[in-house]
Amino acid sequence: MRLELRDVSHVYAPGTSFEVEALRGVYLTVEQGEVLGIVGGTGSGKSTLVQHMNLLLAPTSGDVLVDGIDARTLHKSELRRRVGLVFQFPEAALFAPTVEEDVAFAPRQLGLDEGEVGERVGESLRAVGAGELAVRSPFALSGGEKRRVAIAGVLAMKPEVLVLDEPTAGLDPATREELLDLILGLREVGISVVLVSHDLDEVAEVADRICALHEGKVSATGTPAEVFYSEPAQAPATVQVTFILRASKPGIGTPVRFEETLQALRALRGG
Amino acid sequence: MTSRALGQYYPVASPVHALDPRAKILATAVFVVGLFLVDSTVGMLFVAAALVALVGFCRIPAGTFARFMRPVLFIVALTVVFQVFFSREGPTLFMWGFFEVHTGGLRLGFFLALRILLLVSSAGLLTATTAPVALADGIEDLLSPLKRLRFPAHEVAMMMTIALRFIPTLGAEAEKIRGAQAARGADFSEGGPLRRARSLVPVLVPLTVGAFRRADELAEAMESRGYRGGEGRTRYRELHFGKRDALALIVTVLILLVGILL
Repeated sequence: MRLELRDVSHVYAPGTSFEVEALRGVYLTVEQGEVLGIVGGTGSGKSTLVQHMNLLLAPTSGDVLVDGIDARTLHKSELRRRVGLVFQFPEAALFAPTVEEDVAFAPRQLGLDEGEVGERVGESLRAVGAGELAVRSPFALSGGEKRRVAIAGVLAMKPEVLVLDEPTAGLDPATREELLDLILGLREVGISVVLVSHDLDEVAEVADRICALHEGKVSATGTPAEVFYSEPAQAPATVQVTFILRASKPGIGTPVRFEETLQALRALRGG
Repeated sequence: MTSRALGQYYPVASPVHALDPRAKILATAVFVVGLFLVDSTVGMLFVAAALVALVGFCRIPAGTFARFMRPVLFIVALTVVFQVFFSREGPTLFMWGFFEVHTGGLRLGFFLALRILLLVSSAGLLTATTAPVALADGIEDLLSPLKRLRFPAHEVAMMMTIALRFIPTLGAEAEKIRGAQAARGADFSEGGPLRRARSLVPVLVPLTVGAFRRADELAEAMESRGYRGGEGRTRYRELHFGKRDALALIVTVLILLVGILL
Protein backbone atom coordinates (compact mmCIF):
# COMPACT_ATOMS: atom_id res chain seq x y z
CA MET A 1 0.00 0.00 0.00
CA ARG A 2 0.96 3.60 -0.51
CA LEU A 3 0.83 5.97 2.40
CA GLU A 4 0.84 9.66 1.71
CA LEU A 5 0.99 12.69 3.97
CA ARG A 6 -0.12 15.84 2.27
CA ASP A 7 0.64 19.25 3.75
CA VAL A 8 0.39 17.89 7.29
CA SER A 9 0.83 20.30 10.17
CA HIS A 10 0.48 19.56 13.83
CA VAL A 11 0.19 22.01 16.70
CA TYR A 12 0.28 20.75 20.30
CA ALA A 13 -2.03 22.54 22.74
CA PRO A 14 -3.25 25.18 20.29
CA GLY A 15 -4.48 28.43 21.76
CA THR A 16 -2.62 28.05 25.06
CA SER A 17 0.72 29.38 26.21
CA PHE A 18 2.09 25.83 25.77
CA GLU A 19 1.43 25.91 22.01
CA VAL A 20 4.12 24.12 20.01
CA GLU A 21 4.19 23.80 16.24
CA ALA A 22 5.65 20.32 15.83
CA LEU A 23 5.03 19.78 12.11
CA ARG A 24 4.72 22.41 9.42
CA GLY A 25 3.42 21.49 6.01
CA VAL A 26 4.96 18.03 5.67
CA TYR A 27 4.63 16.23 2.33
CA LEU A 28 5.75 12.63 2.41
CA THR A 29 4.98 9.34 0.68
CA VAL A 30 5.79 5.79 1.69
CA GLU A 31 5.76 3.68 -1.46
CA GLN A 32 4.75 0.01 -1.54
CA GLY A 33 7.61 -2.21 -0.40
CA GLU A 34 10.21 0.43 0.25
CA VAL A 35 12.26 1.23 3.31
CA LEU A 36 11.92 4.92 4.07
CA GLY A 37 14.38 6.33 6.56
CA ILE A 38 13.34 9.39 8.54
CA VAL A 39 16.25 11.27 10.04
CA GLY A 40 16.46 14.47 12.04
CA GLY A 41 17.71 15.81 15.33
CA THR A 42 15.96 15.73 18.68
CA GLY A 43 12.79 17.80 18.55
CA SER A 44 12.65 17.80 14.75
CA GLY A 45 9.18 16.24 14.83
CA LYS A 46 10.06 12.64 13.94
CA SER A 47 7.95 11.02 16.64
CA THR A 48 5.04 13.38 16.03
CA LEU A 49 5.23 12.59 12.34
CA VAL A 50 5.05 8.82 12.73
CA GLN A 51 2.02 9.06 15.01
CA HIS A 52 0.18 10.67 12.10
CA MET A 53 0.74 7.60 9.95
CA ASN A 54 -1.94 5.63 11.81
CA LEU A 55 -3.77 8.74 13.04
CA LEU A 56 -2.91 8.26 16.70
CA LEU A 57 -2.44 11.99 16.30
CA ALA A 58 -4.78 13.79 13.97
CA PRO A 59 -3.22 16.48 11.80
CA THR A 60 -4.16 20.03 12.77
CA SER A 61 -4.32 20.64 9.04
CA GLY A 62 -3.54 18.52 5.98
CA ASP A 63 -4.43 14.98 4.96
CA VAL A 64 -3.22 11.44 5.41
CA LEU A 65 -4.03 9.23 2.40
CA VAL A 66 -4.00 5.45 2.24
CA ASP A 67 -3.88 4.31 -1.39
CA GLY A 68 -5.35 7.68 -2.26
CA ILE A 69 -8.22 7.41 0.24
CA ASP A 70 -8.53 9.85 3.14
CA ALA A 71 -7.39 7.84 6.18
CA ARG A 72 -10.01 9.54 8.38
CA THR A 73 -12.75 7.76 6.43
CA LEU A 74 -11.24 4.34 7.24
CA HIS A 75 -12.23 2.54 10.42
CA LYS A 76 -9.65 3.26 13.11
CA SER A 77 -8.92 -0.40 13.86
CA GLU A 78 -8.56 -1.12 10.13
CA LEU A 79 -6.08 1.73 9.72
CA ARG A 80 -4.08 0.67 12.80
CA ARG A 81 -3.88 -2.90 11.55
CA ARG A 82 -2.64 -1.85 8.12
CA VAL A 83 -0.14 0.66 9.48
CA GLY A 84 1.67 -1.03 12.36
CA LEU A 85 3.34 1.48 14.63
CA VAL A 86 6.12 0.48 17.00
CA PHE A 87 6.76 3.28 19.47
CA GLN A 88 10.13 4.27 20.81
CA PHE A 89 11.04 1.89 23.66
CA PRO A 90 8.06 -0.35 22.85
CA GLU A 91 9.05 -2.73 25.66
CA ALA A 92 7.53 -0.20 28.10
CA ALA A 93 4.09 -1.40 26.94
CA LEU A 94 4.55 -5.14 27.56
CA PHE A 95 1.90 -6.24 30.03
CA ALA A 96 0.81 -9.88 29.73
CA PRO A 97 2.01 -12.72 32.00
CA THR A 98 3.69 -14.50 29.09
CA VAL A 99 5.34 -13.38 25.88
CA GLU A 100 2.85 -15.46 23.89
CA GLU A 101 -0.15 -13.72 25.40
CA ASP A 102 1.39 -10.32 24.94
CA VAL A 103 2.03 -10.91 21.25
CA ALA A 104 -1.48 -12.36 20.94
CA PHE A 105 -3.04 -9.12 22.20
CA ALA A 106 -3.22 -7.37 18.83
CA PRO A 107 -4.49 -10.34 16.76
CA ARG A 108 -7.13 -11.03 19.44
CA GLN A 109 -8.27 -7.41 19.24
CA LEU A 110 -8.75 -8.06 15.52
CA GLY A 111 -11.20 -10.82 16.44
CA LEU A 112 -9.28 -13.67 14.82
CA ASP A 113 -9.98 -17.24 15.91
CA GLU A 114 -7.55 -18.82 18.38
CA GLY A 115 -5.94 -21.05 15.75
CA GLU A 116 -5.07 -18.08 13.59
CA VAL A 117 -3.93 -16.12 16.64
CA GLY A 118 -1.57 -18.92 17.65
CA GLU A 119 -0.15 -19.16 14.15
CA ARG A 120 0.49 -15.43 13.97
CA VAL A 121 2.12 -15.38 17.40
CA GLY A 122 4.50 -18.17 16.38
CA GLU A 123 5.24 -16.54 13.05
CA SER A 124 5.96 -13.09 14.45
CA LEU A 125 8.11 -14.40 17.28
CA ARG A 126 10.16 -16.45 14.82
CA ALA A 127 10.46 -13.41 12.54
CA VAL A 128 12.17 -11.43 15.32
CA GLY A 129 14.22 -14.45 16.41
CA ALA A 130 12.36 -14.87 19.69
CA GLY A 131 10.57 -18.16 19.04
CA GLU A 132 12.03 -19.79 22.14
CA LEU A 133 10.80 -17.01 24.45
CA ALA A 134 7.08 -17.74 23.96
CA VAL A 135 6.33 -19.10 27.44
CA ARG A 136 8.61 -16.76 29.38
CA SER A 137 7.40 -13.72 31.30
CA PRO A 138 8.09 -10.55 29.32
CA PHE A 139 9.32 -8.88 32.51
CA ALA A 140 12.09 -11.44 32.99
CA LEU A 141 13.71 -10.88 29.57
CA SER A 142 16.81 -8.90 28.69
CA GLY A 143 16.44 -5.46 27.11
CA GLY A 144 17.10 -6.73 23.59
CA GLU A 145 14.70 -9.65 23.98
CA LYS A 146 11.97 -7.36 25.29
CA ARG A 147 12.43 -5.06 22.31
CA ARG A 148 12.13 -7.96 19.86
CA VAL A 149 9.04 -9.34 21.58
CA ALA A 150 7.41 -5.90 21.56
CA ILE A 151 8.03 -5.58 17.82
CA ALA A 152 6.57 -9.06 17.29
CA GLY A 153 3.44 -7.76 19.07
CA VAL A 154 2.90 -5.31 16.21
CA LEU A 155 4.03 -7.68 13.44
CA ALA A 156 1.29 -10.09 14.55
CA MET A 157 -1.27 -7.71 13.02
CA LYS A 158 0.37 -8.40 9.63
CA PRO A 159 0.65 -4.71 8.83
CA GLU A 160 1.21 -3.51 5.27
CA VAL A 161 3.37 -0.67 6.52
CA LEU A 162 5.55 -1.13 9.58
CA VAL A 163 6.62 2.09 11.27
CA LEU A 164 9.53 1.75 13.68
CA ASP A 165 10.39 4.72 15.90
CA GLU A 166 14.04 4.46 16.98
CA PRO A 167 13.91 0.66 17.09
CA THR A 168 17.63 0.20 17.76
CA ALA A 169 18.05 2.80 20.51
CA GLY A 170 20.02 1.25 23.37
CA LEU A 171 20.45 -2.16 21.73
CA ASP A 172 23.64 -4.17 21.54
CA PRO A 173 25.28 -4.40 18.09
CA ALA A 174 24.20 -8.01 17.47
CA THR A 175 20.51 -7.35 18.19
CA ARG A 176 20.74 -4.21 16.10
CA GLU A 177 22.06 -6.19 13.14
CA GLU A 178 19.24 -8.72 13.51
CA LEU A 179 16.70 -5.94 13.55
CA LEU A 180 18.10 -4.38 10.39
CA ASP A 181 18.02 -7.81 8.73
CA LEU A 182 14.39 -8.13 9.79
CA ILE A 183 13.62 -4.81 8.08
CA LEU A 184 15.23 -5.99 4.85
CA GLY A 185 13.36 -9.30 5.11
CA LEU A 186 10.04 -7.49 5.45
CA ARG A 187 10.80 -5.41 2.39
CA GLU A 188 11.43 -8.60 0.47
CA VAL A 189 7.86 -9.77 1.10
CA GLY A 190 6.42 -6.42 0.02
CA ILE A 191 5.92 -4.73 3.37
CA SER A 192 6.88 -1.08 3.52
CA VAL A 193 9.00 -0.04 6.45
CA VAL A 194 9.39 3.44 7.88
CA LEU A 195 12.55 3.58 9.96
CA VAL A 196 12.92 6.59 12.24
CA SER A 197 16.42 6.96 13.55
CA HIS A 198 19.08 9.42 14.40
CA ASP A 199 21.72 6.81 13.67
CA LEU A 200 22.69 7.83 10.15
CA ASP A 201 24.83 4.72 9.64
CA GLU A 202 21.95 2.31 10.08
CA VAL A 203 19.64 4.41 7.93
CA ALA A 204 22.33 4.42 5.23
CA GLU A 205 22.50 0.62 5.43
CA VAL A 206 18.83 -0.20 4.89
CA ALA A 207 16.91 2.80 3.51
CA ASP A 208 15.81 3.04 -0.12
CA ARG A 209 14.83 6.64 0.38
CA ILE A 210 15.44 9.17 3.10
CA CYS A 211 13.39 12.03 4.42
CA ALA A 212 15.26 14.54 6.56
CA LEU A 213 13.26 16.59 9.04
CA HIS A 214 14.36 19.86 10.52
CA GLU A 215 12.23 21.82 12.99
CA GLY A 216 9.05 20.18 11.78
CA LYS A 217 9.74 20.68 8.09
CA VAL A 218 11.01 18.26 5.45
CA SER A 219 14.47 19.62 4.63
CA ALA A 220 15.42 16.94 2.08
CA THR A 221 14.05 13.79 0.48
CA GLY A 222 15.62 11.42 -1.99
CA THR A 223 17.85 8.39 -2.18
CA PRO A 224 20.46 8.13 0.57
CA ALA A 225 23.16 9.13 -1.93
CA GLU A 226 21.23 12.23 -3.02
CA VAL A 227 20.42 13.38 0.49
CA PHE A 228 23.78 12.63 2.10
CA TYR A 229 26.00 13.91 -0.71
CA SER A 230 24.06 17.18 -0.94
CA GLU A 231 24.47 17.79 2.79
CA PRO A 232 27.68 15.94 3.80
CA ALA A 233 27.82 17.74 7.14
CA GLN A 234 24.78 15.69 8.16
CA ALA A 235 25.84 12.41 6.59
CA PRO A 236 27.38 9.24 8.01
CA ALA A 237 31.14 9.23 8.57
CA THR A 238 31.74 7.02 5.51
CA VAL A 239 30.04 9.56 3.26
CA GLN A 240 32.01 12.42 4.83
CA VAL A 241 35.25 10.59 3.96
CA THR A 242 34.28 9.73 0.38
CA PHE A 243 32.95 13.25 -0.10
CA ILE A 244 36.40 14.66 0.60
CA LEU A 245 38.07 12.02 -1.61
CA ARG A 246 35.69 12.89 -4.44
CA ALA A 247 37.34 16.30 -4.85
CA SER A 248 40.48 14.63 -6.25
CA LYS A 249 39.06 11.24 -7.22
CA PRO A 250 35.60 11.72 -8.76
CA GLY A 251 35.72 8.07 -9.91
CA ILE A 252 34.84 6.95 -6.38
CA GLY A 253 31.16 7.63 -7.09
CA THR A 254 28.60 8.13 -4.37
CA PRO A 255 28.71 5.03 -2.16
CA VAL A 256 26.57 5.14 0.96
CA ARG A 257 26.48 1.66 2.50
CA PHE A 258 29.57 0.53 4.35
CA GLU A 259 30.21 -2.38 1.97
CA GLU A 260 29.78 -0.17 -1.07
CA THR A 261 32.22 2.31 0.38
CA LEU A 262 34.82 -0.39 1.03
CA GLN A 263 34.44 -1.69 -2.53
CA ALA A 264 34.77 1.78 -4.00
CA LEU A 265 37.91 2.41 -1.96
CA ARG A 266 39.38 -0.96 -3.03
CA ALA A 267 38.59 -0.19 -6.67
CA LEU A 268 40.30 3.18 -6.28
CA ARG A 269 43.44 1.59 -4.89
CA GLY A 270 43.50 -1.13 -7.52
CA GLY A 271 42.87 1.24 -10.43
CA MET B 1 -1.82 18.09 30.17
CA THR B 2 -2.57 21.76 29.81
CA SER B 3 -5.99 21.63 31.42
CA ARG B 4 -5.86 22.92 34.96
CA ALA B 5 -7.44 21.00 37.75
CA LEU B 6 -8.26 21.68 41.37
CA GLY B 7 -5.14 21.45 43.47
CA GLN B 8 -2.75 22.41 40.71
CA TYR B 9 -0.17 25.14 41.10
CA TYR B 10 -0.99 28.29 39.16
CA PRO B 11 2.35 29.96 38.53
CA VAL B 12 1.97 33.75 38.48
CA ALA B 13 3.67 36.45 40.52
CA SER B 14 1.39 37.77 43.25
CA PRO B 15 1.76 38.96 46.84
CA VAL B 16 0.11 35.73 47.97
CA HIS B 17 2.45 33.55 45.92
CA ALA B 18 5.37 35.34 47.56
CA LEU B 19 4.25 34.56 51.12
CA ASP B 20 6.07 32.03 53.26
CA PRO B 21 4.45 28.63 52.66
CA ARG B 22 4.19 28.10 56.43
CA ALA B 23 2.13 31.28 56.75
CA LYS B 24 -0.19 30.05 54.02
CA ILE B 25 -0.54 26.58 55.50
CA LEU B 26 -1.29 27.98 58.95
CA ALA B 27 -3.70 30.54 57.53
CA THR B 28 -5.52 27.81 55.64
CA ALA B 29 -5.71 25.70 58.80
CA VAL B 30 -7.08 28.68 60.76
CA PHE B 31 -9.55 29.33 57.97
CA VAL B 32 -10.80 25.75 57.81
CA VAL B 33 -11.22 25.42 61.58
CA GLY B 34 -12.72 28.92 61.88
CA LEU B 35 -15.21 28.19 59.13
CA PHE B 36 -16.85 25.55 61.32
CA LEU B 37 -17.33 28.12 64.09
CA VAL B 38 -19.09 30.60 61.80
CA ASP B 39 -22.75 29.90 62.43
CA SER B 40 -24.63 32.82 60.92
CA THR B 41 -25.39 33.34 57.25
CA VAL B 42 -24.20 36.96 57.51
CA GLY B 43 -20.90 35.82 58.96
CA MET B 44 -20.51 33.22 56.22
CA LEU B 45 -21.21 35.81 53.55
CA PHE B 46 -18.63 38.12 55.10
CA VAL B 47 -15.98 35.38 55.00
CA ALA B 48 -17.00 34.52 51.43
CA ALA B 49 -16.54 38.16 50.38
CA ALA B 50 -13.09 38.16 51.98
CA LEU B 51 -12.17 35.00 50.06
CA VAL B 52 -13.31 36.50 46.76
CA ALA B 53 -11.08 39.49 47.46
CA LEU B 54 -8.22 37.09 48.24
CA VAL B 55 -8.64 35.33 44.88
CA GLY B 56 -8.16 38.75 43.31
CA PHE B 57 -4.96 39.27 45.34
CA CYS B 58 -3.66 35.95 44.05
CA ARG B 59 -3.93 37.23 40.45
CA ILE B 60 -5.86 34.13 39.45
CA PRO B 61 -8.56 34.99 36.89
CA ALA B 62 -12.00 34.49 38.48
CA GLY B 63 -13.11 32.31 35.55
CA THR B 64 -10.11 30.03 35.91
CA PHE B 65 -10.71 29.69 39.63
CA ALA B 66 -14.38 28.96 39.04
CA ARG B 67 -13.33 26.16 36.69
CA PHE B 68 -11.07 24.77 39.44
CA MET B 69 -14.24 24.34 41.50
CA ARG B 70 -16.19 22.40 38.92
CA PRO B 71 -15.50 18.94 40.39
CA VAL B 72 -17.03 19.90 43.78
CA LEU B 73 -20.21 21.31 42.33
CA PHE B 74 -21.80 17.86 42.34
CA ILE B 75 -21.26 17.45 46.08
CA VAL B 76 -22.51 20.98 46.68
CA ALA B 77 -25.64 20.35 44.64
CA LEU B 78 -26.26 17.07 46.46
CA THR B 79 -25.94 18.81 49.85
CA VAL B 80 -28.42 21.51 48.85
CA VAL B 81 -30.93 18.97 47.55
CA PHE B 82 -30.70 16.90 50.75
CA GLN B 83 -31.13 19.90 53.01
CA VAL B 84 -34.00 21.34 51.00
CA PHE B 85 -35.97 18.09 50.95
CA PHE B 86 -35.25 16.63 54.36
CA SER B 87 -35.24 19.63 56.62
CA ARG B 88 -38.66 20.59 57.95
CA GLU B 89 -37.79 23.78 59.77
CA GLY B 90 -39.63 27.05 59.35
CA PRO B 91 -42.70 27.91 57.30
CA THR B 92 -43.58 25.70 54.31
CA LEU B 93 -42.89 27.23 50.94
CA PHE B 94 -43.94 24.41 48.64
CA MET B 95 -45.55 20.99 48.88
CA TRP B 96 -45.86 18.18 46.37
CA GLY B 97 -46.79 14.73 47.60
CA PHE B 98 -44.48 14.04 50.47
CA PHE B 99 -41.93 16.59 49.22
CA GLU B 100 -41.97 19.67 51.37
CA VAL B 101 -39.74 22.66 50.99
CA HIS B 102 -39.28 24.82 54.07
CA THR B 103 -37.47 28.12 54.41
CA GLY B 104 -35.25 26.61 57.10
CA GLY B 105 -34.10 23.88 54.72
CA LEU B 106 -33.40 26.41 52.02
CA ARG B 107 -31.40 28.54 54.39
CA LEU B 108 -29.45 25.57 55.74
CA GLY B 109 -28.78 24.21 52.25
CA PHE B 110 -27.42 27.56 51.11
CA PHE B 111 -25.33 27.87 54.27
CA LEU B 112 -23.79 24.41 53.94
CA ALA B 113 -23.16 24.84 50.21
CA LEU B 114 -21.30 28.05 50.96
CA ARG B 115 -19.29 26.33 53.68
CA ILE B 116 -18.22 23.49 51.38
CA LEU B 117 -17.32 25.91 48.60
CA LEU B 118 -15.26 28.02 51.00
CA LEU B 119 -13.50 24.99 52.45
CA VAL B 120 -12.52 23.69 49.04
CA SER B 121 -11.56 27.11 47.71
CA SER B 122 -9.30 27.83 50.66
CA ALA B 123 -7.45 24.56 50.13
CA GLY B 124 -7.47 25.18 46.37
CA LEU B 125 -5.98 28.63 46.88
CA LEU B 126 -3.20 27.19 49.02
CA THR B 127 -2.13 24.73 46.35
CA ALA B 128 -2.71 27.20 43.51
CA THR B 129 -0.43 29.82 45.06
CA THR B 130 2.24 27.55 46.57
CA ALA B 131 4.63 25.51 44.46
CA PRO B 132 4.50 21.83 45.46
CA VAL B 133 8.10 21.85 46.65
CA ALA B 134 7.54 24.95 48.78
CA LEU B 135 4.42 23.34 50.19
CA ALA B 136 6.37 20.22 51.18
CA ASP B 137 9.13 22.37 52.70
CA GLY B 138 6.54 24.27 54.70
CA ILE B 139 4.88 21.10 55.95
CA GLU B 140 8.23 19.61 56.91
CA ASP B 141 9.06 22.71 58.89
CA LEU B 142 5.70 22.82 60.64
CA LEU B 143 5.96 19.13 61.50
CA SER B 144 9.56 19.34 62.67
CA PRO B 145 8.66 19.78 66.38
CA LEU B 146 7.19 16.29 66.13
CA LYS B 147 10.64 14.92 65.29
CA ARG B 148 11.25 14.74 69.05
CA LEU B 149 8.44 12.22 69.18
CA ARG B 150 10.27 10.28 66.46
CA PHE B 151 7.83 11.42 63.80
CA PRO B 152 9.70 11.26 60.45
CA ALA B 153 8.81 14.81 59.36
CA HIS B 154 11.52 15.07 56.74
CA GLU B 155 10.75 11.70 55.23
CA VAL B 156 7.04 12.47 55.02
CA ALA B 157 7.75 15.76 53.29
CA MET B 158 10.21 14.10 50.91
CA MET B 159 7.64 11.46 50.03
CA MET B 160 5.10 14.17 49.28
CA THR B 161 7.57 16.08 47.12
CA ILE B 162 8.47 12.97 45.15
CA ALA B 163 4.84 11.95 44.72
CA LEU B 164 3.94 15.41 43.43
CA ARG B 165 6.99 15.54 41.21
CA PHE B 166 6.13 12.27 39.50
CA ILE B 167 2.48 13.00 38.71
CA PRO B 168 3.28 14.63 35.35
CA THR B 169 5.97 12.02 34.61
CA LEU B 170 3.56 9.16 35.15
CA GLY B 171 0.92 11.04 33.20
CA ALA B 172 3.20 11.30 30.19
CA GLU B 173 4.16 7.64 30.57
CA ALA B 174 0.50 6.60 30.69
CA GLU B 175 -0.15 8.62 27.54
CA LYS B 176 2.70 6.86 25.74
CA ILE B 177 1.57 3.39 26.80
CA ARG B 178 -1.99 4.21 25.79
CA GLY B 179 -0.69 5.19 22.36
CA ALA B 180 1.33 1.99 22.05
CA GLN B 181 -1.66 -0.18 22.99
CA ALA B 182 -3.97 1.80 20.71
CA ALA B 183 -1.51 1.06 17.90
CA ARG B 184 -2.02 -2.63 18.74
CA GLY B 185 -5.76 -2.26 18.38
CA ALA B 186 -6.76 -1.48 21.98
CA ASP B 187 -9.94 0.56 22.17
CA PHE B 188 -10.54 2.58 25.32
CA SER B 189 -13.83 4.15 24.37
CA GLU B 190 -16.05 1.28 23.23
CA GLY B 191 -18.20 -1.10 25.22
CA GLY B 192 -19.81 -0.94 28.64
CA PRO B 193 -18.10 0.14 31.87
CA LEU B 194 -16.78 -3.37 32.55
CA ARG B 195 -15.21 -3.72 29.12
CA ARG B 196 -13.75 -0.26 29.36
CA ALA B 197 -12.28 -1.00 32.77
CA ARG B 198 -10.79 -4.21 31.41
CA SER B 199 -9.32 -2.34 28.45
CA LEU B 200 -7.24 -0.35 30.94
CA VAL B 201 -5.34 -3.44 32.14
CA PRO B 202 -2.82 -3.24 29.26
CA VAL B 203 -2.10 0.34 30.34
CA LEU B 204 -2.11 -0.05 34.12
CA VAL B 205 0.15 -3.12 34.28
CA PRO B 206 3.09 -1.57 32.39
CA LEU B 207 2.49 1.74 34.16
CA THR B 208 2.82 0.06 37.56
CA VAL B 209 5.87 -1.92 36.47
CA GLY B 210 7.39 1.32 35.20
CA ALA B 211 6.62 3.14 38.45
CA PHE B 212 8.44 0.49 40.48
CA ARG B 213 11.39 0.61 38.12
CA ARG B 214 11.49 4.40 38.41
CA ALA B 215 11.32 4.18 42.20
CA ASP B 216 14.34 1.87 42.20
CA GLU B 217 16.26 4.15 39.89
CA LEU B 218 15.38 7.22 41.93
CA ALA B 219 16.45 5.54 45.17
CA GLU B 220 19.79 4.65 43.61
CA ALA B 221 20.25 8.13 42.17
CA MET B 222 19.52 9.67 45.58
CA GLU B 223 21.86 7.35 47.41
CA SER B 224 24.63 7.87 44.88
CA ARG B 225 24.37 11.58 45.65
CA GLY B 226 24.76 10.91 49.33
CA TYR B 227 21.16 11.20 50.47
CA ARG B 228 20.82 9.74 53.95
CA GLY B 229 17.54 11.21 55.14
CA GLY B 230 16.86 14.43 56.99
CA GLU B 231 19.64 14.32 59.61
CA GLY B 232 21.82 17.43 59.25
CA ARG B 233 20.45 18.20 55.84
CA THR B 234 20.54 21.85 54.75
CA ARG B 235 18.17 23.54 52.34
CA TYR B 236 18.78 25.24 49.04
CA ARG B 237 15.80 27.51 49.63
CA GLU B 238 15.60 28.76 53.20
CA LEU B 239 12.19 29.74 54.47
CA HIS B 240 11.83 33.23 55.93
CA PHE B 241 8.85 34.11 58.03
CA GLY B 242 8.68 37.91 57.67
CA LYS B 243 6.40 40.74 58.76
CA ARG B 244 4.18 40.28 55.74
CA ASP B 245 3.68 36.62 56.57
CA ALA B 246 2.72 37.49 60.14
CA LEU B 247 0.38 40.18 58.85
CA ALA B 248 -1.31 37.75 56.46
CA LEU B 249 -1.86 35.33 59.30
CA ILE B 250 -3.25 38.05 61.60
CA VAL B 251 -5.61 39.33 58.90
CA THR B 252 -6.90 35.78 58.36
CA VAL B 253 -7.56 35.34 62.08
CA LEU B 254 -9.33 38.71 62.23
CA ILE B 255 -11.55 37.92 59.24
CA LEU B 256 -12.58 34.64 60.83
CA LEU B 257 -13.20 36.32 64.21
CA VAL B 258 -15.47 38.89 62.58
CA GLY B 259 -17.22 36.07 60.70
CA ILE B 260 -17.76 34.13 63.93
CA LEU B 261 -19.05 37.17 65.85
CA LEU B 262 -21.42 38.35 63.12
